Amino acid sequence: MAVVMTNVAATKRKKRSQWGLAFRRYRRNKLAVFGLIWVALFLLIGVIGPYIAPYNYQTANFLAANSPPSLAHIFGTDNLGHDMFSEIIWSVQNALEIAFGATLVSFLIGIVLGMWAGLRGGLADLIIMRLVDSMFAIPTYFLDLILVVSFGRGMGPILLAIGITGWASYARLIRSQVLSMRNSDMVEAARSLGASQTQIAWRYVLPNVMNSMVVALAFGIPGDLTVMAGLSVVGMGLRPPLPSFGNMLAQSGVNVLGYPWLMYFPAIVFAITLLSFLFVADGLQEALNPKG
Amino acid sequence: MGIVRFIVKRLISMIITISVVLAVSFLMMHYSPNSFFSSTTLASGMGNLQFQDPKLYQQYITMFENRYGMNKPIYDQVLSYVWNSLTFNFGNSFENPTMPIMTQLKESLPISIELSLGSVILAVIIGLPLGVLAALYRNSWIDSLLTTFSMIGQAIPAFVFAVILVLLFGVVWPGVVPINGWGTFADAILPTIALCVGNIGVVTRYMRGSLIESMRQDYIRTAKAKGVPYWPLVWKHGIRNSLTAMVTVIGPTFAFTVVGTVWVENIFSIPGLGTLMSGAFVNDDIPLAITSVFILSLMVMGVNLLVDLSYALMDPRVKLEA
Repeated sequence: MAVVMTNVAATKRKKRSQWGLAFRRYRRNKLAVFGLIWVALFLLIGVIGPYIAPYNYQTANFLAANSPPSLAHIFGTDNLGHDMFSEIIWSVQNALEIAFGATLVSFLIGIVLGMWAGLRGGLADLIIMRLVDSMFAIPTYFLDLILVVSFGRGMGPILLAIGITGWASYARLIRSQVLSMRNSDMVEAARSLGASQTQIAWRYVLPNVMNSMVVALAFGIPGDLTVMAGLSVVGMGLRPPLPSFGNMLAQSGVNVLGYPWLMYFPAIVFAITLLSFLFVADGLQEALNPKG
Repeated sequence: MGIVRFIVKRLISMIITISVVLAVSFLMMHYSPNSFFSSTTLASGMGNLQFQDPKLYQQYITMFENRYGMNKPIYDQVLSYVWNSLTFNFGNSFENPTMPIMTQLKESLPISIELSLGSVILAVIIGLPLGVLAALYRNSWIDSLLTTFSMIGQAIPAFVFAVILVLLFGVVWPGVVPINGWGTFADAILPTIALCVGNIGVVTRYMRGSLIESMRQDYIRTAKAKGVPYWPLVWKHGIRNSLTAMVTVIGPTFAFTVVGTVWVENIFSIPGLGTLMSGAFVNDDIPLAITSVFILSLMVMGVNLLVDLSYALMDPRVKLEA
């Protein structure tokens, strides 16, 4: 009897953990659950894609160029005879690497600058916030274009270009959170006990701003996916042998009247993916910040 | 702060920001691994010349460098480029040595302005009533329908909508509206829709939140208590108050739309600044590429300044701070 009682107590306590509660709130949002499933599938394909893709992205079967969807090529082939299904699977990997990498780069720059501005204040704050303002004044997409020209059009360069320009919103968010934290009793107590600025930043401030960070990251990833594909639309995306959604969308426009299947599949997959990422972000926002 | 002082301060910070962007862009493109000679149709012709007649080739390069001041020291080039741009003296592009960039801008910029401003205005006209509807019938089926639609509109970028529209009106219903080109009113329909969908989503969502927030205020309850009928209450006390907050969303929306215009112009082959710009970037045409970034950024900054000013004029509680 006693054993059973403690077990019940233990499970009850477990269920009340912050993340557990957040998960339960998340589960109630059906769209968010759908989004999560699609994103998980997307991630899975990103990891195992190269092993399950029926063709390599470099193999081109010229004899089967521009063939409509069939058993051999379930999504059809493009004008060089690339299998569209394999192209899509390979582009998932490229899209994920660039989107996650770029978001991580922006996030790291943003978190360092934002915390520095918020905790140090004074001149550092002034300079960093001026920088943030000017990043907001000009669409960062244009800066991306210029960086891509200068870095090149490979995976790494595009990742860096998108990452370097995207930090401003993270920095601003983190700074505002830090400012509201800075004068809290908790931080004051830590400071009076002799904690250093770095200790305060990592032990006290960071864990408390984690929720909003997770939400910001979740919104950032689809944003970076969009920018990456947008670069291809003007012809500055990944250099063509590397498959990417942007290239497929941009090139399909040329052949849409003759070969519409080149357009259906990339457009639908890309649209559902962006939506799913947004549903996940929205669900996370509801689950992690139930007040706001 | 006085309004004049505010404008002057904002203009100064605008000039500083744009100068830095111009200088950095120029340097980055100048030191980029590709150059105009290695990446264009011109280069393929010149490539042959390089082997057939190296002397003539060298002569051509020297002429070209003299023409565009590329033989001067780099700091001189950067400073003069920034100064010339700020005084709207853009010179010629690499690709069109005989046609000033200004002439190209005069043809292409109005198209881009028409598209971007038109779609923002249209989005406000359509989105505001939808937002009001969603807010007044909060948590009903119509609200959840509109919220879902606005989310879809926000998540999917303009170029995907453009591609889907091309598919619909090129393959499924061919011949209903033209799917590329520019000139007639019908040509503008699809690009405007592609640009609008996202903006309508933003405006609807923002208006909904803003109106719900103002309907929760105490003065609404007071007005209701003293017997103001429903629609005057909603219009005079609710909507008019949330409209001022609405103005702030126009700035970011416009910036977003300008980028969207670049994409949509490329997909519908509209001869606007966006198409010009993408061609310039692909060919490493430094003057034209940076000038188009400059002009489009200037547009965004100008609209943001106007938005901040009108916000302050509409809401006396707002203090102008540059």
